[in-house]
Amino acid sequence: MTEPSPLRRAATQRPLLEYKHVCKTFGAFTALDDISINIYPGEVVCFIGPSGSGKSTLLRGTNGLDPFDGGEVFFDGQILPRKQSEVRKVRQRMGMVFQNFELFPHKTALQNVAIGPITVLNKDRVEAEQQAMALLAKVGLADKADNYPVNLSGGQQQRVAIARALAMQPEVLLFDEPTSALDPETIGEVLSVMKALADEGRTMVIVTHEMSFARRVADWVIVFERGKVLEEGPPEQIFEAPKVERTKEFLSHLGWA
Amino acid sequence: MTLDWSIVWLNKEALAEGALMTIVLTVLTMSLAVPLGIVLAFMRLSKWRSLALLSQCFVELFRNIPLILIVYWSFYVIPILIPVQFSAFTTGLVALVLCVSAYNAETFRAGINSVRHGQTNAGLALGMSQLQVMKEIILPQAARRVLPILATTWVSLFKDTSLVSVIAVGELSHVALQIRSQSFRVLEMLTAMAVIYWMMGYPQAKLSDWVRKKFEVKE
Repeated sequence: MTEPSPLRRAATQRPLLEYKHVCKTFGAFTALDDISINIYPGEVVCFIGPSGSGKSTLLRGTNGLDPFDGGEVFFDGQILPRKQSEVRKVRQRMGMVFQNFELFPHKTALQNVAIGPITVLNKDRVEAEQQAMALLAKVGLADKADNYPVNLSGGQQQRVAIARALAMQPEVLLFDEPTSALDPETIGEVLSVMKALADEGRTMVIVTHEMSFARRVADWVIVFERGKVLEEGPPEQIFEAPKVERTKEFLSHLGWA
Repeated sequence: MTLDWSIVWLNKEALAEGALMTIVLTVLTMSLAVPLGIVLAFMRLSKWRSLALLSQCFVELFRNIPLILIVYWSFYVIPILIPVQFSAFTTGLVALVLCVSAYNAETFRAGINSVRHGQTNAGLALGMSQLQVMKEIILPQAARRVLPILATTWVSLFKDTSLVSVIAVGELSHVALQIRSQSFRVLEMLTAMAVIYWMMGYPQAKLSDWVRKKFEVKE
């Protein structure tokens, strides 16, 4: 298990993800305004902040799905390429989990998990399906392997989506509001799978509105507002003694005293 | 007024040949108009604007003109444009293919566009190429949505083949109407025609309903 982030600022190690002066606009709206942050290997980093503050935009730019307008991202020391054919190679090393799950409805849970290794890594089908089965077991859904997404609950679909991302053996997992589309009663099952992954020492970047989860699981929390970083620090600092007045207001607005 | 239904039985072979020709025309038209429709749909969705525009012009031209006019137009205009003499059958087939591929192009385009953009992102996020996303994610989902519409187009096409009778293609309508004008047995022949079309069309319509139910997309 990787030690959490006291290591962080002592860091002799290289960040796994390094954002330098990242900018993004949508028409007249500035979504990201000169963001420079680092994410270190083995860290769980939560992006929090009001809706429209830029946290999801930053996540979607990380694997080039929605490229930034300016600035640079370094992944494992390499600059994120702009060309589609080159960025593909980088995406294979980053797993992504979407708010709306985005499972493939024409494939079973097992096929959803196996499709990445089969299509992208040219893995043998039998081998890929064995691995997929193990991953479904890991997220507690071995008995649902032959179900189509339509026959799974939201929480189950999101757990399959997590298994699908894990199947590519990514070096970092990007979660874009993974519980926002879920019924309250299924949020817990997804969060406990994510907690288990965090305990394995995986590098995870999570955009979330689940403050108690962020408080409990994150090694580092970054607060966004209007496309800027308002404050960043360990969860104890952000949640117990925020340095910036706006962070206090935002958290108290959510009932986090 | 006396009715003489024996005229139908007497001409059973000619009518059967006409019916067969109707089926051949339907099958041939669809087997050409499906691939052509796919090509037109991809042209329309392509990032090259000139290809997209070309496809759009084709589609908007042929789906907004009555089929019977396209049939006449093919019959009189094609021989002027290209110095090759086509048979009435080929001319009729060309007219049907032009019209149906325009419809199919729109069907395929709508099918592809109906797949949520998030599905493309999910495929790309796994590291797939655009081509792999299209092949593994988009097209299989689009196909399920397109099939029921193609089945409906098929049933319409089956009936619309009757329009090529105006250029003397020997399909069911042409044969039946010929017998009518030679024998003056108007009511008998039109009724026979209706019965034969219905007997062939009804199972196809039922099959089309079954396809719609079977491939209904549940999300």
